[in-house]
Amino acid sequence: MRHGRGTLFLGLGITLVVLFGILAGPFITPFSPEEMDFVNVLTPPDASHWLGTDSFGRDVLSRVLSGGRISLFISACGVAAGAVLGTALGMGAAWRGGTVEAGLMALSDLLFAFSSFVLALFLMVVLGFGLQNVIVAIGLTYLPVFARLARNLTRALMHEPFVQAARLIGLPPWRILAFEILPNILSTLMVQASIGVAFGIVIEAGLSFLGLGVQPPTPSLGVILADGREYFQRAPWVLTLAGAAVSVMLLGLNLLGDGLRDLADPRLRRAAGP
Amino acid sequence: MARRRAAAPGALLVFLAMKAAPGDPALSVLGENARPELVQAFRHQHGLDLPLWRQFLRWISAALQGDFGRTLTLAGGVPVRELLASRLPVTAFVGLYALLLAVRISLLLGTIAALQRGRTLDTLTTSFAVLGVSTPDFWLGYVLIFFLALNVLIFPSYGFASPTQSIPGALLSGFLPALAIAAPMAAVFSRVLRAALLEVMHRPYVQVARSLGHGSAFVFVHAVLRNALIPYVTVIGLQVRYLLGGVVVIERVFGIPGLGSLMVDAAFGRDYPLIQACALTFLAIVLATNLIVDLVCTRLDPKARP
Repeated sequence: MRHGRGTLFLGLGITLVVLFGILAGPFITPFSPEEMDFVNVLTPPDASHWLGTDSFGRDVLSRVLSGGRISLFISACGVAAGAVLGTALGMGAAWRGGTVEAGLMALSDLLFAFSSFVLALFLMVVLGFGLQNVIVAIGLTYLPVFARLARNLTRALMHEPFVQAARLIGLPPWRILAFEILPNILSTLMVQASIGVAFGIVIEAGLSFLGLGVQPPTPSLGVILADGREYFQRAPWVLTLAGAAVSVMLLGLNLLGDGLRDLADPRLRRAAGP
Repeated sequence: MARRRAAAPGALLVFLAMKAAPGDPALSVLGENARPELVQAFRHQHGLDLPLWRQFLRWISAALQGDFGRTLTLAGGVPVRELLASRLPVTAFVGLYALLLAVRISLLLGTIAALQRGRTLDTLTTSFAVLGVSTPDFWLGYVLIFFLALNVLIFPSYGFASPTQSIPGALLSGFLPALAIAAPMAAVFSRVLRAALLEVMHRPYVQVARSLGHGSAFVFVHAVLRNALIPYVTVIGLQVRYLLGGVVVIERVFGIPGLGSLMVDAAFGRDYPLIQACALTFLAIVLATNLIVDLVCTRLDPKARP
């Protein structure tokens, strides 16, 4: 019990701090993420530049904060698109049943068989590199995840008395799905989404790190890390500290997801330990 | 079971997605200002002027015989099969190495956490697990390079000795990349193993085994661990998808000439036959792993045995 709460609050705390940092970043950091300073090139971390500066003398902390905003935006948009579409498809499929359901589940099985990063990389080639297409690739990667989850959850609820009652009083199917079933499965979907956003950030960072995702000069986290790789031997702090910042962000989201899951499912809480 | 149906539609999806990609392969190879008759000849040579369904049949029947055509841009048109054949063993080596490391680490950590439930060691291993999940593997790769290759000079920071040339060299140069891929997976595995062990530990048959006078080590190995292995192996099978994603990035970080860096090169060069072949190979690896995991689980579970 206490373990679940502790995880949840720790995750919530870290996530809130990170959110505050990346949202208020432009107003609280004394440096602009794009401002170059050729006198202070590749300076190690000190009192004025907490994470040092990069090869153009730009403040790494300011860049990480604004990159965090971009990466979080990309990941959240992608996961949101995948979640909304996937949930709609999954719920609809569960309701209709028959061939529609079988076909949709076969398609989601198919997308499941691909490694999500390999699938995202493949989609980037098909769609072309760039920020919008990273969002589309993350969305398409998550679509089957949410479709399958929503379908399974909906199926489990379809024969519950309250759904039968809603049917008997003649509510149209979309109202039953949206107002009777959706509120009951939303918590599970939200848990999946918060873990999804964390992994979406990893996908974005990985793609952009390889040069196949967001393109410079847009400072997403992956672009900053790829940048730090160029002069890793001379200035290892850019890559290591920027990456550590990414880890903290992911840690917050993962702990939040774990805590929410423990809260939503008491059975898991017991299995997961004290 | 359902996963295995994915092979044929998977191939179709890879094919159609590639066809829908923007850009004409003929123009990207010959240049934007190529003469129309040259473009025609190129299209004819690669079968690009046939109807779509005939192109697909041609491609898939050739692919099933191991013939993926020639590369368009990379290495000046060598057979894709030769490239795949030279890269696949490297990726298989690194992937299996990582998997082995992840299994060894997680068996140790998961068992410790379950046996020490609620004590300091449990909290420590659980924290390691959460940290591991939150660490992007390519960043971990650089941290490992920084601490273990640049400062201490135990491991090479870049490059890879092929296992066909020297096994010790491959084990040494493959250690850091494998560890970077393995750490996040070990984190997931050890959490699953811990939960599974705790679930099994207090089952009646474990108490029976104990009351029969067996030693605690015997009971742990034969009654507890054995039954906890089924969810553990299942999760390992599911995680192979993430392992392949990690392999792609890590191969780039450490300069390993495997399938992953080949796919990235192909992506940059817009080499469509090569990307199709890589995507299909990765799909085949996942499907083959699922099959193996199903078989292992059937062997492990006495109830599922015929």
